[in-house]
Amino acid sequence: MKGYYFRQARQNLIQNPWLNAITLGTITLSFLILGLFLVLFLNTKGLLEDWGGRIRVTAYLGGSPDQEQMTRLREKVRGFEEVMEVKVRSKEEALKLLEEKIPERKELLRGLPRNPLPASLEIRLKGEYQSSEGAQSLARKLRGIPEIEEIQYGSDWLERFSAFMALLKGLGLGLGALLLLSTIVVISNTIRLSIFARREEIEIMRSVGATGLFIRAPFYLEGVLQGFLGAVLALAVLFALFQLFLSQVYEPLRGLLGNYPVQFLSLEQMAAVALGGVVLGLFGTQVSVGRYLRL
Amino acid sequence: MRVSKKQSEKRGRTGRPYRLRRKGISLGNGSAAIIEMIHVSKAYEDNPNALFDISLRVEKGQFLYLVGSNGAGKTTLLKLLYAAERPTAGEIWVNGVEVGRLAPRKIPYLRRALGLVFQDLKLLPRRTAYDNVAFALEAVGAERGEVAKKAAQALRGVGLERRANCLPSQLAAGEQQRLAIARAVVNDPVVLLADEPTGSLSVTAAEEIIHLFEKINLRGTTVVLATHNEGLPAMWPKEKIVLDQGKLTEGAPPQPMACG
Repeated sequence: MKGYYFRQARQNLIQNPWLNAITLGTITLSFLILGLFLVLFLNTKGLLEDWGGRIRVTAYLGGSPDQEQMTRLREKVRGFEEVMEVKVRSKEEALKLLEEKIPERKELLRGLPRNPLPASLEIRLKGEYQSSEGAQSLARKLRGIPEIEEIQYGSDWLERFSAFMALLKGLGLGLGALLLLSTIVVISNTIRLSIFARREEIEIMRSVGATGLFIRAPFYLEGVLQGFLGAVLALAVLFALFQLFLSQVYEPLRGLLGNYPVQFLSLEQMAAVALGGVVLGLFGTQVSVGRYLRL
Repeated sequence: MRVSKKQSEKRGRTGRPYRLRRKGISLGNGSAAIIEMIHVSKAYEDNPNALFDISLRVEKGQFLYLVGSNGAGKTTLLKLLYAAERPTAGEIWVNGVEVGRLAPRKIPYLRRALGLVFQDLKLLPRRTAYDNVAFALEAVGAERGEVAKKAAQALRGVGLERRANCLPSQLAAGEQQRLAIARAVVNDPVVLLADEPTGSLSVTAAEEIIHLFEKINLRGTTVVLATHNEGLPAMWPKEKIVLDQGKLTEGAPPQPMACG
């Protein structure tokens, strides 16, 4: 019986080769645009997270805390859920660092009557808190510690980074929804035409006692095949384009982009795209079968 | 004949439907009625009396003409029998199943016990004669070997074995009709319902078709043949019922008389 379903589905596909080619092309194009967006989104996210991984929250301490006070503070801050690592920098260390950065002013700095630089805690955030919200949340907690006088975490940059990611995500979701909807419409339209092309056969099948499932199954299979093939074809084209990008754009500009390794979709993500094709195929078929093949 | 387990469970040991027995309706002379219509009416919006109060019974193995002019209700009556339409009132029993209240998902199993010959034949124009017959077997999930064997057998039965590779358009009108009959009987139906099978044929071709139906009937298949041609029952006499404007005018079972 399964053989019959496949034969019928194949026959449906062969019966309207141009229509099916156009449908397959449209599905491929939709998935290609979606795939491009997905690769762009994932890599931008990775790149920005890579940069974001360098986010430091610096808490400047007032007065001249001794070693014991600073160790106690470090332990306290380390206890916050946002914190991955805390480095203590004494007033002396801060001055030494400044001297290293501006060696031509070394003598001037040594001539100062007292060290003007404050001691500080340099805090690195955990991965999930490397965002504007994460840094702000930690800053609120740090403000509750009386020894801390000032907090710096480059909030403007972080907010822009978060807003850009949200925009990218929103655009991706909007465009994705639009393309998926158009794919469903295209598949559903093809199946509708397939149903009309086979209406005589369907009538005869009904008259001789074929069950609803038996009549509908080849159409579902046709829709699923179209969705799956469209998604797989899109992945193949996307991979070819990715390779082209690597050789023509990424390698020459590697220095500008830093050493962030640009990545293609993972196996799981590719499987999800193919599965998406299957689900869309089923959904598109259901729209037409439910409407035009009431048995 | 293929009958689903659920259908066969609906019948009692006597072969009579439980519901009929429960209601105390007699099935007559002891032989099982394969078709029974009890006060059946069918109304459409534009035709409130498409069928009106039809009661009839067809015994197993019977050959029955359903005679009536165009628009008399013959096709509607046949459609009610194979559950393409639902009755507005009354009960319809076919092969032990109450058709009027049959759940849609069970209709295919009823139809597997029936053979249908349509007025417009409904042959697949792009398939050969063999494929047209084989298609009816494939549609009910028959295995490939069985399909080949039974399709060839059915074509032989109607004398089309040498025309198996022809498209319907390459066949004469009588041959097309025989092909439609081969497709209708290939699943070994209990009842064969034919709607105007001789309508567009010459007398000679019509004679061939009637002989074919007789042959099928002799094998035990009940045949109900709808025709507008009153000459057919005269030339090849069988039992007949006559429909006129949705009402049975001849061959209706006697109605009980009022007392007093």
